[in-house]
Amino acid sequence: MFDFLIEGFGVALSPLNLGLAFLGALLGTLFGALPGIGPINGIAILMPLAYTLGLPAESALILLAGIYTGAEYGGRMSSILLNVPGDAGAVMTTLDGHPLAKKGLAGPALGLSAVSSFVGATIAILGLTLFAPLLAEVAVMFGPAEFFALMVFAFASMSVMMGKDPVKTAIGAVLGVLLATVGVDSGTGVLRYTFGMPELYDGIDFVVMIIGLFAISEILLMLEHANRKDADGDIPPLGRVFVSLKEVLYCKGAMGRSGLLGFIIGVLPGTGASVAGAVSYTTEKRLSDKEGTFGSGDMRGLAAPEAANNASAAGSFVPMLTLGIPGSGTTAVLLGALMLYNITPGPMLFTERPEVAGGLIASLYIGNLVLLALNLPLAGVFARVLTIPRWVLVPAIALLAFVGVYQLHSDLTAIYLMLIIGVFGYLLRKLGFSLAPVILGYVLGGLMEQNLRRALSISGGDVGILWQSGISLGLWLAAAALLVLPWLLPKLLAGNAPREDVEDG
Amino acid sequence: MRIAADRLLGLALIGLAAFVAVQAVQLEVPFSYEPVGPKAFPLGLSILLAGLALALVFKPGADGDWPHRALAVKLLLVLGLLLAYAMLFTRLGYMPASLLAVVALARLFDASWLQALIAGALLAVGSYFLFTSGLGIALPTGRWLGAVL
Repeated sequence: MFDFLIEGFGVALSPLNLGLAFLGALLGTLFGALPGIGPINGIAILMPLAYTLGLPAESALILLAGIYTGAEYGGRMSSILLNVPGDAGAVMTTLDGHPLAKKGLAGPALGLSAVSSFVGATIAILGLTLFAPLLAEVAVMFGPAEFFALMVFAFASMSVMMGKDPVKTAIGAVLGVLLATVGVDSGTGVLRYTFGMPELYDGIDFVVMIIGLFAISEILLMLEHANRKDADGDIPPLGRVFVSLKEVLYCKGAMGRSGLLGFIIGVLPGTGASVAGAVSYTTEKRLSDKEGTFGSGDMRGLAAPEAANNASAAGSFVPMLTLGIPGSGTTAVLLGALMLYNITPGPMLFTERPEVAGGLIASLYIGNLVLLALNLPLAGVFARVLTIPRWVLVPAIALLAFVGVYQLHSDLTAIYLMLIIGVFGYLLRKLGFSLAPVILGYVLGGLMEQNLRRALSISGGDVGILWQSGISLGLWLAAAALLVLPWLLPKLLAGNAPREDVEDG
Repeated sequence: MRIAADRLLGLALIGLAAFVAVQAVQLEVPFSYEPVGPKAFPLGLSILLAGLALALVFKPGADGDWPHRALAVKLLLVLGLLLAYAMLFTRLGYMPASLLAVVALARLFDASWLQALIAGALLAVGSYFLFTSGLGIALPTGRWLGAVL
């Protein structure tokens, strides 16, 4: 049953793929450490360039997955050193990470976060290896009706768990799905929402979409941050560079528990690193904060969210690889990247394209080791990336974005479309939307409609097929429960828990 | 009723939903073998969107902080700059267009003239060779350069 993994290591250990895993880890850490650029932005900016290399699907995926996990590593730099989270998943890292840095323990804090990330990711990758094939075997039984119900469940779960406002999360997802309907309808050949523009017949290009939505809107947002000057602090001295074994062992319980928790949260569709970080931090605080040191530089308060957000990053590959439903915004981008190669992830991936599924999982093991090896000694070097001024960073992002979109068809229309989408993304972010649901909706929208129409074709138009099987009925009920419970529970318990208000990466 | 950003957004979204629905209804489907066709899915989405937008109109969230006038002007400047960069991209060629864009962007992000010029020269020339020689991307050289050479 682990044949795919053996084949995968065969793929991942080829010199090219090994090099790509290393390159991805390095680029990801650098991009993650850049102020304001999280994993999702990093992948959005680098993905089009990865395509120009003409890599086979599994190699491109290995590179992108390396960037993803690397960026999760890099995201903590600014959290710990500057108290500014590099991305949403690193928000909880600031709580104990920055106080540690202020105590002169910045070096050990960076080291500890690297070790915790490694432990959390290892737990989750083991979980991924064990559970993904099992889930794939169950998912083989899914028909179009079940897949449709599953996507409804994914959107429901996302609305409740992601972002601060469920209504806005849902609106974002609907807007994403609507954007996916642009272009030729595959069933009938009818043109939808193309407004007579031939450039839109194939739909809005995925690369144009993510670069506009993430990179261009980020440029506009950075202008505001630059004006507020909130991120321009001085980097505290790192102190000693290595974390001691005693400190690591002190946190082993926190790492183990949070890694497991992060993996489970990562597997749930729509719930990403920020939820994992928040849940693990509060859990660990409740379990082990006997002296009330959490929040004032307790090492366990740093280890817990770090282990959890890396575990959730690996965990979110489980639904993506087995069901084709991404577990987070970033895996939605990876899913879109796979679809550009005409590979639709799903239960058959493990049997039909074991080199892709296995190669990816194997490369996660390798990338994880590479990241630990890179981050422990080189923390000081990466920390210097934080001092890159915005007047270099922003033009560089603009050049990457323009070239990334231009090289698709050597055509300016795509660039104008990218700018329009960028303004749209900026407005959404200013209005308190999270962009992850939009991209999830965009990636899943086409599949959702296809599955709905296929199911109804099978039944000859009878809507009952959508909830006829036990699996789909269960998914509908679970989706309904998710939507009703958060509204019902506080009324039953009368004690309202504080809500998370971070944007998901 | 208080005028909130979310209320305006909600109304705009209801307008969008109506537009989507009208466009969907007007689609002319020649002949379809399947029972659903291309209209139903966008129609369903527009109804869902209208419902969610109504919720936003009746229960708007906090307004958030919007850019004040000086910043808004700067935002429009950056947008105009990106637009100009797009228009000059093929006409001037990648290197000169990028040089201008980087210098202007760097200035807008508070670089001194010297800093901006250095960043512009290094980024425009360096990235050109990285993209063309390193990654094999064909970038426009510009008509005027072709005429000179």
